[in-house]
Amino acid sequence: MRTEPMAAPMAAIPFSVALQTWQTMPGQPMRPSDSPPQTLLERFHPDYAAQATCRLMVGASKGARCHPLLARIIQGNALIGDVDLAALAPVTTDILVIGGGGAGVAAALAAREAGADVILAAKLRVGDSNTVMAEGGIQAAVGDDDSLQRHYDDTLKGGHQAADPALVERLVGQAPAIIRWLIQLGMHFDLADSPTPGARLLRKRAGGTTAARILSYRDFTGLEMMRVLREAVELDRGVTILNRHPAVELLSNDHGHCAGAVLYDLEHATLRIIRARAVILATGGAGRLHLQGFATSNHYGATADGLALAYRIGARVRDMDSFQFHPTGIAWPQHLAGGLISEAVRSLGAKLINGLGERFIDELAPRDLVTAAILRECAEGRGVVRDGQVGVLLDTPGLLAEKPDLLSRQLVSLAHLADRCGIDPRREPLLIRPTLHYQNGGVEIDRHGATAVPGLYCAGEVAGGIHGRNRLMGNALLDILVFGREAGKAAATLAGTPLTGRVGLEHVRDWQRQLTYAGLINGPRSPLLYPAYGNFDLRAHMATARKG
Amino acid sequence: MQPLNHVLLHPAIQVGADLNRWRNAGGGVGLIMAASQPAAIIPTLQAADLRGMGGAGFPTWRKWTAAAAMVAETKYVVCNGNEDEPGTFKDRHLLRWTPHQVIEGALIAAIAIKASHVIFYVNPHQADSIAEMRAAVAQWQGSDLLAGLEPIIGQPVKLEVIASSGRYIGGEETAVVSWLNQGFPFPSRKPPFPFEKGVGGQPTLINNTETLANVPHILNNGADWYRALGKGEACGTKLYSLSGDVLNPGLYELPMGTSLRDLVFTYGGGMLDGRAFKAVFTGGPSNTLLTARDLDVALDFDSVRARQSRLGTGAMIVMSEGTSIVRKVADYVEFFATGSCGQCPSCKCGTFQMARLLDRIATGRGTAADVGALDHLCALLPGSGRCALIDGAVTVVKSALQTFPEEYQRPAAAGGAPKANQQT
Repeated sequence: MRTEPMAAPMAAIPFSVALQTWQTMPGQPMRPSDSPPQTLLERFHPDYAAQATCRLMVGASKGARCHPLLARIIQGNALIGDVDLAALAPVTTDILVIGGGGAGVAAALAAREAGADVILAAKLRVGDSNTVMAEGGIQAAVGDDDSLQRHYDDTLKGGHQAADPALVERLVGQAPAIIRWLIQLGMHFDLADSPTPGARLLRKRAGGTTAARILSYRDFTGLEMMRVLREAVELDRGVTILNRHPAVELLSNDHGHCAGAVLYDLEHATLRIIRARAVILATGGAGRLHLQGFATSNHYGATADGLALAYRIGARVRDMDSFQFHPTGIAWPQHLAGGLISEAVRSLGAKLINGLGERFIDELAPRDLVTAAILRECAEGRGVVRDGQVGVLLDTPGLLAEKPDLLSRQLVSLAHLADRCGIDPRREPLLIRPTLHYQNGGVEIDRHGATAVPGLYCAGEVAGGIHGRNRLMGNALLDILVFGREAGKAAATLAGTPLTGRVGLEHVRDWQRQLTYAGLINGPRSPLLYPAYGNFDLRAHMATARKG
Repeated sequence: MQPLNHVLLHPAIQVGADLNRWRNAGGGVGLIMAASQPAAIIPTLQAADLRGMGGAGFPTWRKWTAAAAMVAETKYVVCNGNEDEPGTFKDRHLLRWTPHQVIEGALIAAIAIKASHVIFYVNPHQADSIAEMRAAVAQWQGSDLLAGLEPIIGQPVKLEVIASSGRYIGGEETAVVSWLNQGFPFPSRKPPFPFEKGVGGQPTLINNTETLANVPHILNNGADWYRALGKGEACGTKLYSLSGDVLNPGLYELPMGTSLRDLVFTYGGGMLDGRAFKAVFTGGPSNTLLTARDLDVALDFDSVRARQSRLGTGAMIVMSEGTSIVRKVADYVEFFATGSCGQCPSCKCGTFQMARLLDRIATGRGTAADVGALDHLCALLPGSGRCALIDGAVTVVKSALQTFPEEYQRPAAAGGAPKANQQT
């Protein structure tokens, strides 16, 4: 583990100089690699920085490594107590799904197919999530030259062999069926030009994979996917959708099982008690915590709420010190920093260029390696600086010169983003820098999405173990659907079982005892619900609303 | 702070089913002393003032005397380990960790009343306890200690572990008898009391697990020793099941007569997360509430009764300010409604109706008429059942109504069911 601070002032080559060098060096020579991948990661990947890890002091995974900022949140005290629940009438359902992204909707739909009644609670609105921001595509081994085994091997290898093999097996095994399901729901995919009648899915290669396995729709695959998911769930009368209802706490019964949740109704400024036979957390990741000061590609809602709730009720977590920094986030202009440029751009052939006009890494190496390589260029003075923002160049002009119609056909989001940056990507390379993209770890689940706490399931980015310590492109859109549906199906087996006994916050009392013993009782409160810059305070919101 | 765990929970005797370890830890002595002087057993318990720890606080020696006076070929001793009420978790610990302590107590009872059958009636929901008891009883079969009792009792002693129905009502002593006679676990009218006509129609002595666990120690160390363990007039120690909003919930063995304040604030570590003390439901929880005014009350049978409450099983469920008393009472009455055997219409319908009214009030939908109806039920229902279940349910409702009337009168809060909020 290295100890030098991440935020050391960086010398860099001015953008104008770098631009000139780039223009005059047509061959784009590749600098030979001088350090093995592991060394590169240990020296430059943010996960390996000394200040990026601590040990959890309480809870079911006490002693496990965790990012310190995340540890503060998941070891936080509860936002509410019994006093807040007085005089509230509970609403009862079979399955409560928390989270309105792809995983939550997939879970709700699967639970409905199995005959359960569902309440789907979203803290923003259904579809308003990271899923719609996924650009590149979804992996599924459907090609003639591909196999489930290759998908399995690539995923495990990309995750540094740290993933749970049982989860990977389920992930890759379900992939073809998931694509079929999406097509049945009406999702569009890019199709390959075919000389013979009958369209075939267009396949692209993702970084770190051995076959062309990415299926996509333009470069807004997630948006297209969410479109059909949302239509399906909103037309289902068995699903009650509660928009703008963040979950503030889970509920437990006498046996310590999860038995519902307390939601906050933003519109009426009141808490709601939902009693459920099972709860599926699909709350996504933690990008909006801006770990180590990184910009993020993540959506407004990514505040680790589900991790805090699940950990407090007794679920185990894993790989909480492992994050994915997407190599190509916007570095300039500053107000768009963190915005994502799809890996599809590199997948189609765009090169990364440092301030000296050199390539310095195989652009389709696994994401953590590419990220470490970019951060190395920046740290060693070969980065490019523009208005104080340091990064490297993404050679879109080089790519678009070869394939001019890409912008209008496949890289539509890139065209939009470049337009907002005031850049013509056909003429000027983009300044990029790694952006906090994905939480590799999360709540431990089994292949049905079940956690260590009976009645609690997790799906999507909140769950861990599927991707090990690094995720491949296209496996996230796959993961949310596979495990969303698994969790929905498994949870639905509890539908109709009797709801007896008391339900309340007993687990919170146990948790507060642990916090007291560990000296953490006066720490922060969680979940955050909204990012720090949202300035949302539950108590203040409730109080203001009461005053009218 | 007084030392904890003097007797029943002494760390040295938490040995589980291993009989040799139990004997090496000093076990068996009480039984041998009892066997050497059978006639002294009941007088010793009388001198020690041992009470029934299942909730009644009835003097143990009187129960034993009545059973001993019955003339019958076959008599039964039943150790009642059905423990099922909210907040009580003492018997399951004794059965799990000190089964031989309990078995010895039951065998001493068998000597005292000349019973040839000893039954351990254990709640099957406590899988560890019942498994440990089975293992422990197996070790007694064929042991010289057990064989040595045959000449004293006049016939061989048969030990058995029988799973109860796992229902709350199955702990009531006539329901115990009914279950052991292959019937439903339903209470019946008394008399006849079990000591007259119990298992198989024979005289049957039924004691709580904790009561029996005390017996070998009293025989071993003498009545004076036992009396001196208590505080003030009270004798012996008591297992308190402490739960709720305290820092350190758990099972505490303290001198009988320890104050509520000491239990909560000294041993229990005080209130959790800086909350304020509000009230205690005593186990369980079919008694009147204790409030801040009662903090200095000595937790023994007589002192608590003097406060118009009852010590019960020694379960203390602590509530902090901010806890809705109505919500808790609604939950407990719901427990009684679910647990009612349904034989007596007043109990079956009364508990259900009270639970319904309480739930309406607790969820902000109650009206003044609902509170009035509760009041009426509290006047109407007591004494109307075969057993005390309905009385317990009424007691907790009535007490909460009297102690926290304002919580029942609060107007319906803003609430109601959330509406589907699509496309907003």
